[in-house]
Amino acid sequence: MYRLVVILMVLLVGNVFAERHADYSNLGEEASNIKASGKIFHTDGLDVIRKMHPEFLNHKRDKTHREGVRTKENSLKGCVNCHATKDKQTNQYHSINDQDQFCSTCHQKVSVSVDCFSCHRTTPRKGTK
Amino acid sequence: MSKTLNRRDFIKTSSATTVGVATIASGITLTTFAANTSDNPVTSEKRWGMLIDTNKLTEANIDGMVSACQQENGWGSEVHSTGDQKPTWVKKLKVQDKATGKITSLPLMCQHCEEPPCVDVCPTNASMKREDGIVLVDKHLCIGCRYCMMACPYDARSFVHEELTDQREHMPRGKGTVESCTLCVHKVDNNETPACVASVNSDAVIFGDLYDANSNINQTLKKVQSAQIRADLDLNTGVRYSGI
Repeated sequence: MYRLVVILMVLLVGNVFAERHADYSNLGEEASNIKASGKIFHTDGLDVIRKMHPEFLNHKRDKTHREGVRTKENSLKGCVNCHATKDKQTNQYHSINDQDQFCSTCHQKVSVSVDCFSCHRTTPRKGTK
Repeated sequence: MSKTLNRRDFIKTSSATTVGVATIASGITLTTFAANTSDNPVTSEKRWGMLIDTNKLTEANIDGMVSACQQENGWGSEVHSTGDQKPTWVKKLKVQDKATGKITSLPLMCQHCEEPPCVDVCPTNASMKREDGIVLVDKHLCIGCRYCMMACPYDARSFVHEELTDQREHMPRGKGTVESCTLCVHKVDNNETPACVASVNSDAVIFGDLYDANSNINQTLKKVQSAQIRADLDLNTGVRYSGI
């Protein structure tokens, strides 16, 4: 039984790490530009943001909502603005939680639903605060 | 080793102390002004409020306030909600004096009470009051039980009955949660005035810090007669009215 658990765990962990080097075709317009220019936005490392982004977002939401701290750091708006992709034909943004868009690629794979976007806007709207 | 303090020494010491305090005090003031407000948590040194003069407001002004709120916060275009289900963050209300028959129109929204009943009854702490007096719903915690809607004496809160898309970037709204006037908290945090106040753009509606003795709202409230709606409930509302 113990062996079975170990094997299962190895398979699961393997899955997570397999995702690590996947090439994101839908990284998002701005994020792709940043990547192409060689700059690093997530300076703590991609592993950190991948693992910890729910905690970062939860912490920020409480700071913003309850204490009025409206900095750009870890803002969900920032995630959407950077990682949204435009449809080349219609020139409209895809919703970031649509199938095969930035959030969904991983979330679908690990079967974790994203609740953010039942209330939050799913596409960037520049110029609004 | 007893040292007696003569008059000259006393004056010297006390004047030095005064200069010291003044230096420190001016330093503190400068730092406060230099800091970006949105980086710091809000404090109870401020209490945001609004003074609405119904004598100066026309009905068109009030309609303008409602549509400015809709435009700013993105409510009012719900297609599947019917009648009472439709969200209303601010509404035009008509009150009639029984003796004279005089009709007064006023805009009614969340009154941002100091002792909000909606916060008292909330089972999940979603209904909350910020330190600076703005009453909000934390939709992350809201379970949609609607106790707060029943507790509110002003009927200021609404429940979202349908799935929404294309929300305003600064104002997340979603099915199954309660919402109400936020005093345009996203604008207030950026040192702007709420959308409804900006739409009137006259001294008929004044927004500001009730505690700040130099603010327009504080000074006006000292001069003119004003009232809180249902003052008998002793909720100490942040939204005040004059002319009713």
